[in-house]
Amino acid sequence: MPEAKRKLRNRVSTVRSSSGTESAAAQRAADLMALAVEAAQSRHLPDFLHRFAERSVQMLRAAWGGVAVFRGRETELHVAGEIESADSASGMNWLLERAREPRSGIEIAPLDPPPPASLKGATPMVSAVLVPIAASDGERLGTLCLLMDRKAISTDEVHLLEALASHAALSLENFRRFSQLERSKRQWVEDIDAISDYIVVHDRAWKIVRTNRSLASHLGVPPVALVGEAMGTLRQIAETGSALPCPFCKDTEQAREEYVAASAERIFLVSTSRTPGLSDDDTRTIHVLKDITDRREAERRYRELFDSIQEGLFFATPDGRFLDVNDAMVRMLGYTSREELLRADVSTHLYPAPEARERFLGALAERGVLRNYEETLRRQDGTLLHTLQNITAVRDARGRIVQIRGLMLDVTEQKTFQSQLQRERDFNQKILNTTQSMILVLDTAGLISYANRRCYEAGYQEEELIGHRLVVWVDPSHQEDFEAALETTANGQQVENIELRVRRSDGSMGHFSISLSPMRDEQNAVNSIVVVMTDITDATLLQAKLAHSERMATIGRLVSGVAHEVNNPLAAILGFTDLLLENPEVPASAREDLGIILQETQRTKDIVQDLLSFARQRPVQRELVQVNQVLRQTIKLRSYDFASHGVEVQEDFEDALAPALGDAQQLQQVFLNILNNAYDAVQEAKQRGRIHISTRRMEDIIEVAISDNGPGIAQPERVFDPFYTTKHPGKGTGLGLSICYGIVRAHGGEIQCANNDDGGSTFVVRVPVATEATVRSAAAKEAGR
Amino acid sequence: MKATVSTKTVAPILLIEDELSVIAFLRAALQRKGYEVVHATSGSEGLERLSGGTFGGVISDIRMPGAVNGADVHAWIQAHRPELRERIILISGDTANSETQALLAQSGTPCIEKPFRVQQLISIVEKTFGKP
Repeated sequence: MPEAKRKLRNRVSTVRSSSGTESAAAQRAADLMALAVEAAQSRHLPDFLHRFAERSVQMLRAAWGGVAVFRGRETELHVAGEIESADSASGMNWLLERAREPRSGIEIAPLDPPPPASLKGATPMVSAVLVPIAASDGERLGTLCLLMDRKAISTDEVHLLEALASHAALSLENFRRFSQLERSKRQWVEDIDAISDYIVVHDRAWKIVRTNRSLASHLGVPPVALVGEAMGTLRQIAETGSALPCPFCKDTEQAREEYVAASAERIFLVSTSRTPGLSDDDTRTIHVLKDITDRREAERRYRELFDSIQEGLFFATPDGRFLDVNDAMVRMLGYTSREELLRADVSTHLYPAPEARERFLGALAERGVLRNYEETLRRQDGTLLHTLQNITAVRDARGRIVQIRGLMLDVTEQKTFQSQLQRERDFNQKILNTTQSMILVLDTAGLISYANRRCYEAGYQEEELIGHRLVVWVDPSHQEDFEAALETTANGQQVENIELRVRRSDGSMGHFSISLSPMRDEQNAVNSIVVVMTDITDATLLQAKLAHSERMATIGRLVSGVAHEVNNPLAAILGFTDLLLENPEVPASAREDLGIILQETQRTKDIVQDLLSFARQRPVQRELVQVNQVLRQTIKLRSYDFASHGVEVQEDFEDALAPALGDAQQLQQVFLNILNNAYDAVQEAKQRGRIHISTRRMEDIIEVAISDNGPGIAQPERVFDPFYTTKHPGKGTGLGLSICYGIVRAHGGEIQCANNDDGGSTFVVRVPVATEATVRSAAAKEAGR
Repeated sequence: MKATVSTKTVAPILLIEDELSVIAFLRAALQRKGYEVVHATSGSEGLERLSGGTFGGVISDIRMPGAVNGADVHAWIQAHRPELRERIILISGDTANSETQALLAQSGTPCIEKPFRVQQLISIVEKTFGKP
């Protein structure tokens, strides 16, 4: 630098020695030319600016000069010559402030007040000339500042200053462009080096032209060290199996290549670009090696997981195509391969009904995510697959579903098991609820914990059963038996069909068949007792009735046969007795005896007649019978006896009782017979005799009940048997009630006798109501006779 | 009245009855009143007699052992002996049998129930067959 400074001084002195305007103009032109050459040759901007400032001072004969260059908000001042004063800063600052002022043209500013001492030179300075330096696009680059010893400059000097300014502008612009280029080139290399992928460029001779830092550091050398090396040295990075000298080139004819190359540990995605140059020497091949080991590993792991997972996984399109499915999915749906399933149309092949698919898509569109969605699908063989699915919809920016992702569980087995269980439960429930038996569950303490529907249908209330002891419903006289049965069952033994009297919900006592079974827990201990109770009252009654009517029929046949057989000899006895009595030769004493024979034969005949009227179904007159009226007439027949013996007769007749269909006379005979019996019975009672007679209609039956408060009957079920009598011998034939039985049966009704709970006995006669139907059918029989 | 139109007949009364004591009584009672009596002890014997002879009337028990009972005899007479249609008297041991009841109701044939008094018998016989 000191050398350059000396040169400059020499040149200045040279200029100063010249004189005359002509020579001055020529000198200026020469100076400007020299400036241009300097600018072109200069590689260092500060040096150039320094010289530029010096030249400007020299050419303008200024006392001092400098170039202020703008770099953003900073200003650099390049001055000609050295600043002599130590206190330069304030002078400089003053000048810089002026230099930064915006201006479009040259300004000559008087130095008034005078410039700071630091700017004072050998010659007095009276003005500052400020020349703006602007780029071609108008951008302000800087200011040329000169301090002069005069207050004005010539036009020539103005032109010169303008020429100097444009020289400076041109040079500044060029320097700026050059440094930008340098910077960007350096940046580019840095950028390439910053890339973690390996980059290598080689020429046609398979020599490395460049590598980036990542590749070099993989090999443990600086990048420069590899330049000029053969590509073969990079084989250690990854082996591709290429026979070419470059391990990463496969087909050099291709402008671009991409493939995966692997070493023992790493996997690379090799992307290759070839740039054909103007000449062979220019041809470059660029390989970028991306280490995808981790990604590959992740993918491999993902795939392994995807395929090894036991739940079905799938990606599908909304229009029903699988994009990917795992092995479990293929297996679940019974397809032979993944490819086969990928070809299947979900809507038509997998869904048994298109509505189900619609419903699924609708739910997914609405909610976006479906959790534990139950769906029945069809396997390839047509069997059904019950699935539980968790689905997520993937939507695009506009909210349309573009993909369906899901996880699917095969719950067929559970479903089948569940439905089987459900069916079984339903079945059991149905049995429990529809059975005609009452089923109760008791704990070992005998408290009811469950009662089936039948119990409630029978009228029992839940609150009087659940939590209560069942034994309280059992007839007190049977409670001991029941408790014994409970104990037996609690000890693990079944008790079958014991018959006990149990109180019904309406308070009446019923005859029940009861079975008790122990129910055991897992430890085989009896923890509850199942009680099955069936009301067999009706069945018992029916059975008794059947047995009775069968017995009566047998008796009837026997009686009929006996009567017929007896009638023949009786006919002869009676006939011959008559003939003898008509015979005048028979003496009077014998006639008397014959009279007795006749009388006894007559009695025998009456007995046989009674027997026959029980056995034979004498034709019944079918007419409308007012039962209440018939009863009143019957009572009237015996009213004298009742009154004289203090027997009270209570009439409890239903008003407006419907007429019965039958024979009023025969029915009267029945009622009379029963009344006579009752009368005789109350005579034996120690209390005041009372006979209660009631009538009521029960559906198509008229029921007449005649009760007495007598001593009751020893065997009420036998009272209708012929010759069964409780009366003293000779007081009756024992056929009266048998005849009643025959009559009522002939009416299509029934007659029963039972002892009352509070003593005495009750006879019940039931005859059919004269309904339209019964009247019509009776008329038809009449006509057919 | 049937009794008044009767002519003095000499033709005997056919008695069909399986019970010998009853036959004895009926024969005695009828003969005492002047009737001639021929008897058969079964329905089939009765029909034999009917087809081989002439009778002024028939008295038949309804219930008899064998293939032919009183009802059959009655039916046979209706078909083959129109002159005897109104001259039948049936005797029954019991009228419980519904067939018997139907027969009696339909034909209006007089019937005497055992046991009966002599006066009952003679009154019906005279009414049906006329006096001998």
